[in-house]
Amino acid sequence: LAHHSHRTAFNNNISMAYECLGASGRRKKPGVNGRIYSELLRRICQDSEAPQEVTSPLLQRIQCRDHEAVPFDVFRYGVLTCFVLLEFVAKADTLYDVLDDGSGVADKRVCQAVLGTLEEALGASDFSVPIRYLEAGSKLGPDCLAVAMDRALLERKLSTSMKREEFLKKAAVLFIAKVKPVD
Amino acid sequence: MCLALCDQLVVSFQLQEIVFKNFYTAFLTIRVQRRSPADVAGEGPRKWVTCLRNYCLMPNPHTEEGSQDYFSVFRDQMLCDVDEVMAIRMILRQPSPVWLHFTIEELQIYPRGQESPQKDFPSWLSHLTSREQPANLHGGLPNPEKVSAEVQQMWVLTEMIHANRAAARIGRFDVDGCYDVNLLSYT
Repeated sequence: LAHHSHRTAFNNNISMAYECLGASGRRKKPGVNGRIYSELLRRICQDSEAPQEVTSPLLQRIQCRDHEAVPFDVFRYGVLTCFVLLEFVAKADTLYDVLDDGSGVADKRVCQAVLGTLEEALGASDFSVPIRYLEAGSKLGPDCLAVAMDRALLERKLSTSMKREEFLKKAAVLFIAKVKPVD
Repeated sequence: MCLALCDQLVVSFQLQEIVFKNFYTAFLTIRVQRRSPADVAGEGPRKWVTCLRNYCLMPNPHTEEGSQDYFSVFRDQMLCDVDEVMAIRMILRQPSPVWLHFTIEELQIYPRGQESPQKDFPSWLSHLTSREQPANLHGGLPNPEKVSAEVQQMWVLTEMIHANRAAARIGRFDVDGCYDVNLLSYT
């Protein structure tokens, strides 16, 4: 399977997968139903290193019921979203490594400051106004992030830690909030 | 060497901004001729007043820096009141013998209430460098460059999935194009 960033190849792979899964075979009715689609999404998430508590909220949002017929557009969106979430979680994992500075445990105040800044930048985006992209990029620059982290350490003197799993879960929530639920 | 450009106006106006493109002018002086507010008929003597003196356009007159830059001069930068302006004189100076020809181009004069398009830029674009220089940061801060690199990639991935929303729907609660109330439930 091509990486999702190789869009043409990825789309070709998705089309072929949809056709193969939709072939009638032993089933009476051809086409991809909710059971096959949901099982595929679960397998994609299970085969990755992402924790289940991180991926299951996404699956709840985009799964289909067993009896529902899944159009190609929904199939493609669901599969793409899974792969993009897995890459997002991998990035969040790398980010945690930067935040813990090799100690294995990151400061909770710093984690919350970084996630808070990301949430703010995601909230600022508006597709009808391209300049919002520049605004979000400015918020996520090294200077702004350094100030946010420094301010967090100054404001709250009590130092506690945030575990990796909790950080990944909180980060994934920001991503999943932008995923359109299947309806 | 000096060059003077003069613009005589028919009616007086309130000057807001002057925008132009430089062409190897080193210093700019602007003088305006104002009508006195008491002179309703416009026949009284008019005086030339310097509102901008030797404004530096090229830090070094002998080198290229600033030689073809765009400049905006606002009323707030003027040395005097620029209301009731009848004429504008722009005096260009270039002391360097390197440049044989110098002038200003694409001159645009904006009255009050009509600002140049660049005014629509949001204020944060004028402050791209952090206002609070993080000079006294905690020693234990994570590397901001590395944090920024990862966070920006996370942002891009999220925005991408937001942009790739499926147009098609399952039509879960649709019955012949309408919602069946019995199928709706509280979650």
